Formats: sequence, structure tokens, C-alpha cells
Amino acid sequence: MIAFTDIVGMDLAKQALMLLAVDPSLGGVVIPSTVGSGKSTLARAFADILPEGTPFVELPLNVTEDRLIGGVDLEATLASGLRVVQHGVLSKAHKGVLYVDSLSLLDSSAVSHIMDAISRRAVIVEREGLSEVHPADFMLVGTYDPSDGEVRMGLLDRIGIIVPFTPVNDYRARKQIVNIVMGTRDEEDTQDELRMLRGLIEAAREQLHKVSMTNEQIKGLIQTAISLGVEGNRVDIFAIRAAIANAALNQRTEVDDEDMKLAMKLVLVPRATRMPEREPNPEEMAQEEPPPQDEQPQDEAEDENAPPDSTDADAEEEQKDEPDMIEELMMDAVETELPDNILNISLASKKKAKSGSRGEALNNKRGRFVRSQPGEIKSGKVALIPTLISAAPWQAARKAEQLKKGIKSTAALIIAKDDVKIKRFRDKSGTLFIFMVDASGSMALNRMRQAKGAVSSLLQNAYVHRDQVSLISFRGKHAQVLLPPSQSVDRAKRELDVLPTGGGTPLASALLTGWETAKQARTKGITQIMFVMITDGRGNIPLGAAYDPTVTKAPKEELEKEIEALALSIQSDGIASIVVDTQMNYLSRGEAPKLAQKLGGRYFYLPNAKAEQIVEAALS
Amino acid sequence: MTQTAKAAKKTTSAKASATKEAKAKATAEEQAVTEVKKPAAKKKSALAFPFTSIVGQEEMKLSLILNIIDPRIGGVLVMGHRGTGKSTTVRALAEVLPFIPRVKGDIYNRTVEQYIEMESGTKAASAIKPEDVKTEMIPVPVVDLPLGATEDRVCGTIDIEKALTSGVKAFEPGLLAQSNRGFLYIDEVNLLDDHLVDVLLDVAASGKNVVEREGISIRHPARFVLVGSGNPEEGELRPQLLDRFGLHARIITINDVAKRVQIVKLRREYDEDPEAFMKKVTRDQQKLQKKIVAAQQLLPQVTMDDKVLTDIARLCMNLGIDGHRGELTITRTAHAFAAWEGKTQVTMEHVREIAGLCLRHRLRKDPLETVDAGEKIDRELAKVLGEAEAAA
Repeated sequence: MIAFTDIVGMDLAKQALMLLAVDPSLGGVVIPSTVGSGKSTLARAFADILPEGTPFVELPLNVTEDRLIGGVDLEATLASGLRVVQHGVLSKAHKGVLYVDSLSLLDSSAVSHIMDAISRRAVIVEREGLSEVHPADFMLVGTYDPSDGEVRMGLLDRIGIIVPFTPVNDYRARKQIVNIVMGTRDEEDTQDELRMLRGLIEAAREQLHKVSMTNEQIKGLIQTAISLGVEGNRVDIFAIRAAIANAALNQRTEVDDEDMKLAMKLVLVPRATRMPEREPNPEEMAQEEPPPQDEQPQDEAEDENAPPDSTDADAEEEQKDEPDMIEELMMDAVETELPDNILNISLASKKKAKSGSRGEALNNKRGRFVRSQPGEIKSGKVALIPTLISAAPWQAARKAEQLKKGIKSTAALIIAKDDVKIKRFRDKSGTLFIFMVDASGSMALNRMRQAKGAVSSLLQNAYVHRDQVSLISFRGKHAQVLLPPSQSVDRAKRELDVLPTGGGTPLASALLTGWETAKQARTKGITQIMFVMITDGRGNIPLGAAYDPTVTKAPKEELEKEIEALALSIQSDGIASIVVDTQMNYLSRGEAPKLAQKLGGRYFYLPNAKAEQIVEAALS
Repeated sequence: MTQTAKAAKKTTSAKASATKEAKAKATAEEQAVTEVKKPAAKKKSALAFPFTSIVGQEEMKLSLILNIIDPRIGGVLVMGHRGTGKSTTVRALAEVLPFIPRVKGDIYNRTVEQYIEMESGTKAASAIKPEDVKTEMIPVPVVDLPLGATEDRVCGTIDIEKALTSGVKAFEPGLLAQSNRGFLYIDEVNLLDDHLVDVLLDVAASGKNVVEREGISIRHPARFVLVGSGNPEEGELRPQLLDRFGLHARIITINDVAKRVQIVKLRREYDEDPEAFMKKVTRDQQKLQKKIVAAQQLLPQVTMDDKVLTDIARLCMNLGIDGHRGELTITRTAHAFAAWEGKTQVTMEHVREIAGLCLRHRLRKDPLETVDAGEKIDRELAKVLGEAEAAA
């Protein structure tokens, strides 16, 4: 068993867990990290720093609904003749920790139940003749690998802390991890350290009520949430609690800038949907130009991480309580963490589906067994145990009736048609991602390389999910399907690598081609379709150009009309969209956000500086 | 395993007396086919954040209040961003609801008239006299339908314990029975399983729940105000269910810093000491409750000119709304809104305020339509109002 204090690296995750230990009302901590980073070891070691006797329940991914919520314990019920209730996993975690490894792979109905339990702090059991409320006030600790997909936004919204994703590649740290696993550390030291840590957290819990926060600070956090485009108002409270918990952990009675920055980093920034607007400033713009190609990205990263602390802290000290200070803090917190999160979260957030099918419809035939429901024997697979449960109570009455009728039954159990329960399965019918990459001249100027990087990492993501991908590029007169819907992510990548750039931007043609591809896919039974558009949104070639070589231009209104009509049709056809804006910030006239709006999709700005490095990291 | 054992023990001791009773009764009741279980002790509900302290989201609050004033409006669907207080608001509703009389201890929350009508039919004994029936006052029930509910718990089923111990087929009413004359709330309604949606549609249309199974034949009133909430990003609602909701309130993230600071402050104060907080707002809560009751009492006196009705009909026609549910909902809602405002006469101004709520989800979807549903309603409304003024 590896103790909490033995774990090397992941300092931010550790700090997040300590904040949660101090204030469980933060709801939980989500830790995205790559395979082998030790995230699940850390999460399991979380129990070390909690008061003794705190329940720690690990949720298996394949949990069925009745195990999760609770239900009738068949064995005990039949044995005792009384209804015996079996508590579900959620209520077993009451006043403790519910730990989910691979949170992003958890079934969506399980996620719904967890969300419900968190918001009520209880589980309502209305099943199989049971009607009970079981308390379930737990901290949720979830770990997952972002390449497995993302966690549902609705769930993330109810969890206070999301640790920013950072791939671990520090070999020294790894070596130390190995040493620990090999048992080279002294057990007594470890125990001492843990005791100290527990004492620290205990003290912080007592300190919690004494910590005060100024109005300006509260406003600052809220303003940050607004300027980052965080959805909903629930995060405000989480951010405040995180700041206070950190102050308490440091035995302070007032929240200071460090606490604020940490709260932004752990609570607000990971939920950002847009870059905060910054005053355009010519000097800075020059600095923000992407680094020349030959520069080593790693060096740069190290430079940024090392020095800034001392000087910044001084500057902030002087400007205390001024709105500027808040802005500075926010930019500080944002700049170090933003880009990867936007790319990561973007996929999860907008999987729109019809009639609650959520892309994993329940069916009677195949997939994972989720629950049983009344049905006819021929209509599916019989769920034996639920059928027995529903037949059991009737036995006495049925036997009495048969006796009355003079039938002598030899059957131990009389099962009637009404008792039969059939199994309902959940089948993950993948999603088709149609990537539309703008390869026009304006893109060459801007950020084709970054766009390619981003698409590659999204493709990787799609591969893990067994989703299908299709690739369409648009440049010159019309769009072109480079790869029809297929599961071959490799082919898509190859096509992408050799994608030339230059020419006009036939945006309308791209939309039409994408829509046609989507329609074809529908006939093959793919219901979930998502457009991923990587473009600056500045269409300048009309649809007609694809058919008539003499058409090269059209008035702006006409172009807009074409795009608008297509976008609306696509939206009303139930196709979800993401628009990744590749435009340089200062050049933007807001075309891409408008396109996203027309498509009813999400908008993301492919951020300047580090997107490339991060995508590279994700790919290596 | 220990958990199970513990649970078993607990259940056993708690139900021991009930079992004895059941055994004693068993012989006497062997002939009785159907018997209905007595209502269970009310589940202790946790303290909910008070309705009057919820900042903003006026559209949702008004929709809920109008449905209390006139339950025939047909419920409300609240859709919008996560983390904006949808379920908090609905759960807060229970505290400001008025009281209704029901037959004492009746699990179906029936009125004396309903009770007599139903029971007279089944009992061989002579008709029950109204003065023989005892009544009690209860707060309008709010019943939570969780996503994981099974069909038998929703509709009611055999009482398992009685059946196991004594072989008696006793009916144990479900959530639909509990919600009669009250509110039935479904959070994440867009994720509700299809077979439960079917049940709900059926019952909502007829106002009755029917359970027929091996000698159990129960039919009881189940008229409830359906309240659903959800985030449209997670999935869409089936059109038939969508149509069932009288009103459709939209809710978005509040982006006003001052308001958000206020929300945070109230919430923190509440979390610090819920009891003290509730005490502080008691007067506000009572005031709201009184205002609702006053509006309820005023409602029968509210009248509406034929001219207003004509205008409503024209509005629905111009918007191309199928069927008459649109007009009906607007008319009822406008009456309730007028009563809420303390007026006895419905004017087009009242209609203007509530038309969006009533019609938003009834507009036909036109893929090439560029205008938002709300704007379209406003535009047509302005036209109808303009014509009305020109005529006058």
C-alpha cells in the first residue's frame, strides 16, 4: 500500500484532495491524467488523510442500477419472509468517499444517479415495492484518462474541483515512484508524515469558520467565472469554498491572493468555454506571435514555470483590492492552464441526442445489462432474478387459489405472465465525427499546423471510443471528402498530413458536403453525428462555384444567407457541432462565433500560445 | 454482508408489530381479494432552501406559482443551463404551498366527494354520508419521481410483505397515488426512460391510474401538476411529453455580478445555519403563501372579455399552432396571472406577459426559420394588439 505522502509529483492533485479533506462540501475532486501517472494510487491513498473510520467506497464501472441505488435483497427477503433492504453503493459512501476510476467510462444512467444523489445528498429508492430515502452525502473522487473521453458536464458541474490536466513526463519523479513501489522507504517515517498531515487537516477544519473573505474577492471570483464563460451559478460557491479551505489549510484567517489564484485554477479555469477578453495592446500582440518553428517548446515551458513567483507577488501586494488585481490574477491563472482543457472538454459537452437516447439507447438485445422491466418472454432475454423477485410475493396466494380449484401443483414456484421481467441493455452505438478542415489561403497564414495538431488529438480521442470519423477539407472552389465515414483513424491522419492549403474558403460547400455525408451515415444506422469545424469562419466562395466555373464571387449577404440556411437545417436535423476558431484574436471579426451560433453548436477559440505543444504532448 | 445483516435486523424490528397485526388479520381477510395499505409515515424531508430567497429566475418562479393558483394549467417544464437553481426552486416550492382538505389518512389524497363516489360503488354497504367522513388538512403534496424509479413503484403494486407473510394480495399505492392533487416533479425529465414516459402520458391524459393484475383491480384518481426540469444539452424531450406541459420556462446563467454575489451570500448564510436562516425568512414565506391563497380565492371571480379571447385565438392561429391546447392554456394562465396581480379582469397586458410561457414549446419547428420562438410570439402578439387597438 502506497501512502499519500509517498506519492511523488501531481502536486496540484494532492493539494486539491487536501482542500476536499478540509471542506467536504466542495463535493469532490476530479483528476484527469494519463495512464501510469499514479492518479488512481493517489486517489486511493486519499483515505490516509481523512479522519479514521471515514468510509471509502470504490464504484465498479459495470455497476447495475439496483446495486447503485439499492433494492430488495432477494435472499434475505425469501429467508425471512420480510422485505429486506439492501443499501446501494451510493448510500454506503455516506459521510465518506465515493471513488470512481475511469470516471469518463461510467455509464450515463449511473452518472445520472450519481448526479441526483449529489444534489439531494440522499438516494431516493422507489423500486420493487420499496420506497425509502437513504442518506448519501459523499465526496466524489474521480480519476480518468482524457484519451478515454470526457466526463459529462452535468456531473462536473456538481463537483467542486477539477484538477487541470498535465501529462507527467518527469523521469526523476518516475524513478522515485518506482523506489517507493520497491519499498525503499521507511514505514515509520511514512506513518509520522501521515499523522502530521492528518493533524494539519484537522486544524484546518477547525479554522474553516474563522476565515473571512472580502466582498471584492467574492466579486473577483464571480467576474472571473463570467469572463471565462462558465455555465451556471453553482461554481461561485465552489470557488469561494476552495479559497477559504486553502486559507484554512495555511492557518490564515483571511483569504489572500494565493488562495484566490488556486481557486481560479482548480475551480473556474477548467470549466472555461472561452478565453477572457483582454485589452488589445500592440506591444503584447507582438509578443504573442507564435514562436518560430525551430524553438524548443520544452525550454519555453520550463522558463515559464520557474521564475515568476517572487516578482509577481510583490506587484500584487501593492494593488490589493483593486479590480485590476483580480484581472491580473485571473490572467495568471488562465494562461498557465487554459488551452488543453478547452480541447479536452469540448467533445464531452455537446453530445446532443434526441429523446434522451444519448447515443446509447436501451435495447432488448445486446450491450451491457442495465436494468429489468416488465415484458413478454419472447420480446427479449428474461431477467431471471428480477422475475423471481416479482413472483415470490404471490406464491402463497397462488397456491391457495390452485388448491381451491383442485389443481395439485408440483411446481415449487408458480410464475405468471405478469411476473416476467426482461433485461434491458445499453448499447454504445458510436458517434460519427465529421471533421471539416478549412484549408484555404487564410489558414495557411494562420495556424494550419495547430489545426492539424488539434484534429489529430481529437481523432485519437475518437479512436478510443470506437467512433467513426470522416474528414472533409475545403479550399478553392468546393469542399472535398478526403475520408468517408470509417473507423480508420490512421487513414484520416495520413490524409491530414498531406493536406495542401491555399485558395478561397467555400464554407457553404463544406456545410453541404458534411450534411450529405451525415445523411448517408444515417441510412447506415448511425444516429449520433457531430460536426467538428476547424475554420476562421470567413466563407467567401458561393455554393454555385462547385458547379459553374464562371462563378467565383458573390455578394456578402448572399454568402451569409447560404451559410445561415444550411446551418439552421443542419441544426434542426439534430446534428451537433463544434466550431474551433483558428483566427488570430486581433484579426477576428467574430465570424466563427457567429457560425457556431447558427449551428447551435459550441464555440472554441484555438488558443494562441500553447495549443500546439499540448496537442503534441497528447500525441506523443 | 454486515451491512445487509444490519439492514435486515433493522427492518425486522421496525416491522415486527406490523407483522403480528398482519398475521392476526390474515385469517379474517382470506376472502377479501383486495385491500389497500395504509399510508406510510411521511418521509422526513430535509430542509430545503427557501423559495423567497431564490434570486432571479423570475420566469420559472412565476410559472410555478401560476400552477399553484390553477393546477389545470397543466404543469411546467423548466429547461436551461445547469447549475442555475432549477431543482432547488422546485424543491423549495413545498414550503410555500397552501393546504388542502382530504379524507383523513387517505393515501390518494381524495376529497370527500371523490371518496364517496369511489367507495360507494365498491362497498355493498349503503352509501356513505358526507358527515361520516373525517377530513384533515395537508399541504399540497410534492412528489419526487427519481429517474431510477421502477414502474411498479410509480403505479403501485402488491404489498410484498403482506403477500409473503400472509398470502394476502394487498395493493400498495405508488407515487401516482401520492401525487394526486399535488405536484409530481421529475428532475432530468429528458432522461426519463421511455416506458415510464408512456405511463405518465397515459395517466396525465386520463387523470386516472389503473392497475389490473391477478385479482387486483385498482382505479384511483391521479391528477397532478407535472413539473419537469432538465438541461437540453443532455437530450431532447419526446414531443408527446413536451405537449403535455402547460408552460415552458427557460432558465439561463445569471451574468449580473451583483445578483450572483447576492446568491452566494444567501447560500452561504443558509449553509452556515439552515434553521436560523429559515426563521429569518419565515415572514416572507408566509407572505408569499398568503398571496397565493388570496389569488386562488380570487380566481373564480376573474373574468375575460370575449374580445380578449378572440385576440388569443387569432394569436394562436397566426402562429400556426395545432389544436386548441394553446388557446386553452393561455386563457387559464392569463386568468391565474390576473388573479396573482389582484385583478378581476383579464386584459391583453396579462396575456402579453404569459404568452411566451404558454406557446414557446408549441410552435412548429421550421428548419429555415431564423427567428427565435420568443421573438416570433412577441411579434405576432404585437400585430394582434395593434389590430385590436386600430379597431377600437
